[in-house]
Amino acid sequence: MSDLDKQIEQLKRCEPLKESEVKALCLKAMEILVEESNVQRVDAPVTICGDIHGQFYDMKELFKVGGDCPKTNYLFLGDFVDRGFYSVETFLLLLALKVRYPDRITLIRGNHESRQITQVYGFYDECLRKYGSANVWRYCTDIFDYLSLSALIENKIFSVHGGLSPTINTLDQIRTIDRKQEVPHDGAMCDLLWSDPEDIVDGWGLSPRGAGFLFGGSVVTNFNHSNNIDYICRAHQLVMEGYKWMFNEQIVTVWSAPNYCYRCGNVAAILELDENLDKRFRVFDAAPQESRGTPAKKPAPDYFL
Amino acid sequence: MAKEDETGGVSAMEVVGDENELKAVGAQLLADGRRGLRIHGWEIETRKRSILNSSTLEEWEQKLGTSHLPEMIFGESALILKHLNSGTSIHFNAFDALAGWKQEGLPPVEVPAAAKWKFRSKPFQEVILDYDYTFTTPYCGSEPNKINAEDETEAISKVTGSLLWDDCEERIDMVALAVKEPILFYDEIILYEDELADNGISLLTVKVRVMPSCWFLLLRFWLRVDGVLMRLRDTRMYCGFEDQKCPSILRESCWREATFKDLAAKGHPSDASSYSDPSIISQRLPIVMHKTQKLVIPDDL
Repeated sequence: MSDLDKQIEQLKRCEPLKESEVKALCLKAMEILVEESNVQRVDAPVTICGDIHGQFYDMKELFKVGGDCPKTNYLFLGDFVDRGFYSVETFLLLLALKVRYPDRITLIRGNHESRQITQVYGFYDECLRKYGSANVWRYCTDIFDYLSLSALIENKIFSVHGGLSPTINTLDQIRTIDRKQEVPHDGAMCDLLWSDPEDIVDGWGLSPRGAGFLFGGSVVTNFNHSNNIDYICRAHQLVMEGYKWMFNEQIVTVWSAPNYCYRCGNVAAILELDENLDKRFRVFDAAPQESRGTPAKKPAPDYFL
Repeated sequence: MAKEDETGGVSAMEVVGDENELKAVGAQLLADGRRGLRIHGWEIETRKRSILNSSTLEEWEQKLGTSHLPEMIFGESALILKHLNSGTSIHFNAFDALAGWKQEGLPPVEVPAAAKWKFRSKPFQEVILDYDYTFTTPYCGSEPNKINAEDETEAISKVTGSLLWDDCEERIDMVALAVKEPILFYDEIILYEDELADNGISLLTVKVRVMPSCWFLLLRFWLRVDGVLMRLRDTRMYCGFEDQKCPSILRESCWREATFKDLAAKGHPSDASSYSDPSIISQRLPIVMHKTQKLVIPDDL
């Protein structure tokens, strides 16, 4: 058994790697990812997965439902880290699988794969807690910069973490972005990772926050038509039912973190496409308590004031 | 049923005192899988459920007259305190809190990136959305109409304000509450939560604890817009069990607010990650509103 196979087995038990191993793994991953296009080509059959957010044991449920990699070909739409308790193990397992089976798993970037966001929403703190220094966080966030921005399945299904951008009309415009950087606060790359479809606008909407685009049905129709694609598959937004179609089945949101943040009670979904691109959504629940590493313990009474 | 937290930690489970402690004060746990207890003429119950599904969410949008609601609404979760003799009851639920948000209708808060976005070229056909995405609410509990109190599904969402809260000088005795009396029942319920599209947090929760001498609760609206501002709207209620003939409830509301800029000027840290737990940093936020009110529970039936 090679070192990499051993590391994969170890990570599947939710045991993190040593710092030196993480460093070596990230270097190897970088060599692979740097070659990928901003619009990475993916062949069918493929199984598409949305946000995971460090919910390691629920991702194991996902693999139970969808089958193991490399037997199943996977496309993950980003947001591997933050919010859940096991961002380190989750991301490292996906990355190790990427290095081991580069043609059987595609990882694209979510808005949480960023230095700034991970410092606020959990991944940074988790790395400090588990390794005593920020080195692992640094290796991982350096790798984030190399992740592709989108994928194109059989030239027919466009996949991206967030959504569209008013500055992008064609896939070629995405191909020209220089992606090897921290996610910027504005511009095309930012929009692809952050924007959301919205029922109540037809064209473009600006969020009341003053930053962040919303796009309506006609924007999606035009984009799909000009790029000759069937529909867009994206993640980024929690959906209680695991997936949600919008605008006459021109765009679908796939969400793969069941019982999000361990309290929402939602189901998760993955989208399986066969060789003819026929769709099958697989809906699944969170991992049962007993399959999780840590036993449930009663909290001490809280004398809140 | 809401599922348990992965480590059995922070917010998932209620705590119930041991049997002897409950017996000694004449308290009984609620039966039939309900969470809560009866004590000194009060029935205190918590309900924890999943977030609303898409179809219920649409119904709420219609009822509330909005197309924007928090992404996580625990719409069937609630805290209910009922005074059995008088029929007086106080509820905490997401629907009424969101009705309060809709009514207050604060103007939107711009995030730091907005400054840059002003210089972006505008797409053809752009609509600027204008609503309070922070879901700030003045909510301090609901008082369902007594006539409907029998039928809870009817009662929820009917805020009649029929109870008479009088302004008072009296304050909740926090020193007495710091005494570690045994806790007979404790629970924390999230009513709604929104991640502000990863620009911070908006969170409405209510915690309750019941001791041999009193019950005490804290309804907390917590908002952090990263790099911009923090807002904390606390409502505490206290009811002692000493006067069972004519019980009264003290309600203390305290609103605090500060911008990150103000905090930095005072030498406090100004990164969002220093402000993840409102109970630790609340003292740093200046008070913008404070009032105490008292409700004497009417003796009629």
